[in-house]
Amino acid sequence: MRYLSLYLEFYKIKLKGIVEYRSSFFLTSISKFVNYLAHFITIWIMINAFETMGSWNAYEIMMLFSLQTASYAIAGSFTYHITTYLSNWIKDGTFDEVLTKPLNPFLYLASRLFSWGYFGTMTIALVVMIYCFVKLNITLSFIKVLFIIPVIIGGGLITGAMMIFASIPAFWIVENNFVANLIFTVKDITDYPITIFSKGLQILVTLIIPYAFVNFFPAQFFLDKNDFSIFHPAFQFLTPVIGVIMFYLAYKLWMFGISHYKSTGS
Amino acid sequence: MSYISVENISKEFKIYHREKGFANIVKSMFARKYSIKKAVENINFSIDKGELVGYVGPNGAGKSTTIKMLSGILIPTSGKITVDGRIPYENRQENAMHIGVVFGQRSQLFWDLPVEDTFDLYRKMYLVDKTKFKRNLEFYTDLLEMKDFIKMPVRQLSLGQKMRANIAIALLHDPEIVYLDEPTIGLDVLAKENIRKFIQEVNKEKKTTVILTTHDMDDIEQICNRLIMIDKGQIIYDGKISDFKKRAEGENVLIVEYGDTDPVDFILTDTRIKLLQEEGKRKWFKYCKTEINTAEVISFVTKDRQVQDILLKEPEIEDIVKKMYRAQQVEVVS
Repeated sequence: MRYLSLYLEFYKIKLKGIVEYRSSFFLTSISKFVNYLAHFITIWIMINAFETMGSWNAYEIMMLFSLQTASYAIAGSFTYHITTYLSNWIKDGTFDEVLTKPLNPFLYLASRLFSWGYFGTMTIALVVMIYCFVKLNITLSFIKVLFIIPVIIGGGLITGAMMIFASIPAFWIVENNFVANLIFTVKDITDYPITIFSKGLQILVTLIIPYAFVNFFPAQFFLDKNDFSIFHPAFQFLTPVIGVIMFYLAYKLWMFGISHYKSTGS
Repeated sequence: MSYISVENISKEFKIYHREKGFANIVKSMFARKYSIKKAVENINFSIDKGELVGYVGPNGAGKSTTIKMLSGILIPTSGKITVDGRIPYENRQENAMHIGVVFGQRSQLFWDLPVEDTFDLYRKMYLVDKTKFKRNLEFYTDLLEMKDFIKMPVRQLSLGQKMRANIAIALLHDPEIVYLDEPTIGLDVLAKENIRKFIQEVNKEKKTTVILTTHDMDDIEQICNRLIMIDKGQIIYDGKISDFKKRAEGENVLIVEYGDTDPVDFILTDTRIKLLQEEGKRKWFKYCKTEINTAEVISFVTKDRQVQDILLKEPEIEDIVKKMYRAQQVEVVS
């Protein structure tokens, strides 16, 4: 990690950028905040109409969504721009420049494209999470509080891994929108408790694109629920492990993708 | 073992064909037709430490592809490259520590940072110690005349200023080898001059090996001592600049515009001059400098004639390339 100070420098630069372009940062944060707030309100209204969804009430479902949003904020800060920029950078040749640096290209990109803009997203997620705990009258034991952090980080790693997977086709086919859209759409399934869907979809979001580990399984631990369908109850503790595994796989495949990079004429 | 050695390097790309019509588009989703384009084919050269090499050729000749393989960005389809004992595309990160790269069409600067901060960032990236950094920065600021804009944010700089900053960045860590891909593209005469002097100075001071691609023959003439020319993926010339110039001088063109009253039909009795083209009152004469000098040609074609204008056209690099390539094809056939 002899480059740690360099990577930290990038985060500092971005922070300096915020000071310089303050209004832009506030507008981004507010827009993200309002965007997710609207999403929460929609869920709240909808579930109030139905009262429950499976065995889940409105606040429990909002809890699912807040876990997902918090993880997304972490993943987004580091990897969202890799997904969206990579194909353009490959198209216009900017990626050449990345490869002439004496750095790990992934860490370099994750630092260089880091965004503080998910601050608003994280804030709304945490506000809603606390609000749900209060409304549900759940007393948080010491262990629960301690477990929230690895769960959010693990969820961030899973979501981040998915964003990285979505960017990988760019190395081969330059355009990666299709895969990105697919992966982001699957994420929407876990806006709701997955047990309301068919077994096939449950397996998809648990074993193939494991978004259910971001919120559905760990939420059951925090909310003292027991709605595991066909899956083992131990799944509620696996989020950090799955996160590390998925991220490692995504990283390895991404690095493999680089060897297929073809560059463009200039 | 030479410093940089390129042995039998080829690089192929798959080019997918786009077909018209909806049915064909659907079909091509599953099985696409493609052809293989050889960007460079079986090229060989070696470069010694401290050489200043100009690497030229027309657009699409394979210049950038070669530079990208040398700097480790692209992996060759076949063949072997070693740069100071390293294989650039296998030890990419390690290799990157010892090289500097400038792509003239692209910038390594961060648009929202002042130039100075960008230098500091690169100091950390290349683990340059502070005294060396300070010494180099002073040396480069002075030589490249960067004093006026070093505190300005990058987005406010002119193209020439950006290019100078980019070149300084590429050399901040005293790389042993610098690859410059069209470093003077789009710059005015003064900025070009400044950059050329700088490259020579650095080469003299630090024995840096420089490989430079360009379309500007003046870059080559003023900076380099060796020229490698590539066309259609193959090397068609590798040698001294002075030898190359002898070949280049082979074909000069003199354009003469005669006055209206003049009877312009005349017979070229001197076989060393050839009529290339005529258009109204203008005539294009081709001659070889090795056979007849320009003064003689002028006196011959203007003798007893009213002349409005004379224009001397020096051979352009693209023309020479074309000519050399044609000559090469003939060799292959015969």
